[in-house]
Amino acid sequence: MAYLNGKKGISGKSNMFWKSFLFSAIVAVFVSMLCLGNFASAGDRLEGKDLYNKYCAPCHGEEGDGYGPLYGALYPKPRDFTKGQYKIRTNATGSLPTDADLIHVISVGVHGTSMMPWDILDIDQIKSLLPVLKSFSEAWQFRKPEASVVVGNELRATQKTIARGRELYQQKECFKCHGETGNGDGPSSYDLEDEWEIPILPYDFTRGDKFKGGATNKDIYMRFTTGMNGTPMPSFANELSDEDRWCMVHYVKSLGEQKSTKEHAE
Amino acid sequence: MNYAKKLMLFLTMALLVVAIQFSGLVQAHEEKGADKEPYVAKTMDIYEGFPDWYSPIFKDNVGLSEGAGLFKDYYKPMAMQMYMSPMRHYEPMDILDHSLFIEKGRRDLCIRCHDGINTGAVDDWKGSAHFNPRKTDLIARKTKVIEESIGREIVNVDCFDCHADTVKNEIRMPNAEICSECHERQVRQFNSEKDHGRPNHIQAMEANVLVPWYAEASRRGWQAGNGGCDMCHGISTKCDPCHTRHSFSAAEARQPKACMTCHMGPDHPDSESYGESKHGIILEMEGEEYNFDKPLAHVQVGEDYRTPTCQFCHMYQGGGRFTHNFVSKGIWRMGTVPPSNIEYESSLKDYPYGINIIAPKIDLYSDENLDKRDKWIEVCSNCHSPRFATTWLEQLDQYMFQAFKITDSAQLIIDKLIADDILYPSVGERDIYPLGDKIAELLPASLIGDGVYNAFKQLGGKVPVVGPILGVYAMFYQGENNPSLIETEYAKMWFWYKLQGYKGYAHAQQDVMWWWGQAPMLMQLGKIQSENMRLRREHALEQGLEPGLGGAQPVSHSKSEGHKSAPTKSGIPVGNVWEVDELDY
Repeated sequence: MAYLNGKKGISGKSNMFWKSFLFSAIVAVFVSMLCLGNFASAGDRLEGKDLYNKYCAPCHGEEGDGYGPLYGALYPKPRDFTKGQYKIRTNATGSLPTDADLIHVISVGVHGTSMMPWDILDIDQIKSLLPVLKSFSEAWQFRKPEASVVVGNELRATQKTIARGRELYQQKECFKCHGETGNGDGPSSYDLEDEWEIPILPYDFTRGDKFKGGATNKDIYMRFTTGMNGTPMPSFANELSDEDRWCMVHYVKSLGEQKSTKEHAE
Repeated sequence: MNYAKKLMLFLTMALLVVAIQFSGLVQAHEEKGADKEPYVAKTMDIYEGFPDWYSPIFKDNVGLSEGAGLFKDYYKPMAMQMYMSPMRHYEPMDILDHSLFIEKGRRDLCIRCHDGINTGAVDDWKGSAHFNPRKTDLIARKTKVIEESIGREIVNVDCFDCHADTVKNEIRMPNAEICSECHERQVRQFNSEKDHGRPNHIQAMEANVLVPWYAEASRRGWQAGNGGCDMCHGISTKCDPCHTRHSFSAAEARQPKACMTCHMGPDHPDSESYGESKHGIILEMEGEEYNFDKPLAHVQVGEDYRTPTCQFCHMYQGGGRFTHNFVSKGIWRMGTVPPSNIEYESSLKDYPYGINIIAPKIDLYSDENLDKRDKWIEVCSNCHSPRFATTWLEQLDQYMFQAFKITDSAQLIIDKLIADDILYPSVGERDIYPLGDKIAELLPASLIGDGVYNAFKQLGGKVPVVGPILGVYAMFYQGENNPSLIETEYAKMWFWYKLQGYKGYAHAQQDVMWWWGQAPMLMQLGKIQSENMRLRREHALEQGLEPGLGGAQPVSHSKSEGHKSAPTKSGIPVGNVWEVDELDY
């Protein structure tokens, strides 16, 4: 440590030495990390159609028509991409989904169905699937996805907003499908079909956190606002004010909470 | 200078900090290393203690490409066998490659998808002790014992633990070996059944495919009929026949209904006889008061169970111990092996006909069997007087002796028909014994004895076989005129009715004892006698009609040149001449 006792000072030379040492060390670490990263995923990194065929086609079918080999085992049925109808979006009803919507659904999955979160794939892989999905439907050639809805400030859940939600639930006849108690057993619930003529069940709000499009307040708000294309669930963007839609969110969430408090009591 | 000093101080401090951090790191590392090694799952060999040839033909996974057992090349397993005997036959699904999920260790993803497919399975699991290993105090204590034995904390046991093969990076179908990672004691107990010989659970697969009619059925295009056989006999390497998927509940497996899907029907009406006995009926009437949550060893007779269950009697090992060995007290076994304690007039006296891989006759009063009897009396005496229990068992023995005497007289009738060359159609004119053309190729004389070996070799499988146990082929195979009516009636007599009466006795069901037992046995004997008279009468008539012979010489039905008809003439015992049903360990 003689060179540190001040006599030699920090000569330019030794400074350079440390600098270059540090630099090379950083480079070495960085390179090795890159290499390791590559090794880990080098085995089977597919993209685009190959990736689709390996992991998506078993359910959604190689033609994207929802008739993959596992079709029979699944309910709800896997999505048919050939009509360009996507349920979970952030834009106006009837619109094609935005790229961000597609990436979101692939990454987080659809609760209550066999569509699991594919966050096991990296973002570039997920992005590489979008052209494949779009290739299945002509809709993408003629239409463009509309811009996402801008979500304003959330109204808080209070007794008042929940009560207003309950009122609207009656007024808008939600109970016809979703049932008086939110159990998904309203009078129309037994005969509903989606656009593919597959029987479809209205959501049972007492299931709590299994909302298909996500269970956060914002997710549910989005369903009221955008509707679910291809299903009997309409958009209320034009019929209900922004505040009213938030009230609905809090009311339907309260239906799930009622059950969980009941369960705790038991 | 000042600047240099400051820098020196700074660097020294920095060095010190790094040194402290580094030493901390080393220490932490050492602590970690001393605490525990990386966890490696250890499983036991389900066929531990079996002969070397056993695993390659029963255990090593071959998917659906070939069968199991010595006749593995003579049949292809049906596709469902991959679920019934997954250890040998499972093939991972090819529609969706699951290796990515296993490689990345994403155990959280399984139920996200499967909840939408196998909702019932997922829900079962969520109610199980695997999902919540501290579900009850008892389960928490059991979990602690397992944690200590495997050296790892168990938060829960999920899909990944049992279904992911992290070495091959593929989905696997669990079997008893996989279960033994945590439940080694139980699997080891199950394995110990081999020490008592067949019939048992651990060798059940052997009983399924080492009988020549299994492969013969495949050859004749009748294999789909064997599906029922596969469903029970797969138990040899599985735990879920009793602890059903995906609850894997011990309490469930303690109930008689857990046994009944297999232990029923004409060959072993255990369900019917126990179920309709006072023992079973009281359980049915008062079942809600039985405490199946308690381990058997802690069951207070009377308080927890008013009557015994299958498990309570058959898992009892004496001295208050219960294990997963169900056969250790078996004296009469399934009731198929003749006792050595009575005299026989038929070829049953030569049983087991020099075959080395067959269990000899049962000596009911051997030290081993007397010891087993003591244990039975110990169980029964939980409620009954020892005299009651002893007398009951002695009466059961008397029934079995009687039943074997009736069997003997039926076998004698058929022996004589063969010896007199009157059995019609004769052995030379009929189809071979199941797979009889291959038996001499596959089983050496050292295993099946010279006499039997030579018979199969010389006669190409056209060997007459009746009676316990390989005459039972009449129940599984009907070739061209083989067996004939009289042999089939005989097989029904000893394999169905004798065994039914036995179960009636053993499980104390009075109606089964008589009406399913000795009564139909006697009716069968009557049929056999009538059939004998008819065959002899027709033979005598034929003799009178045969031109040029004057009716003085017997007419042989064995016209086929290549086959010698009556094996007795070549020094081969008549009757039950071959058996692969019992392997001697």
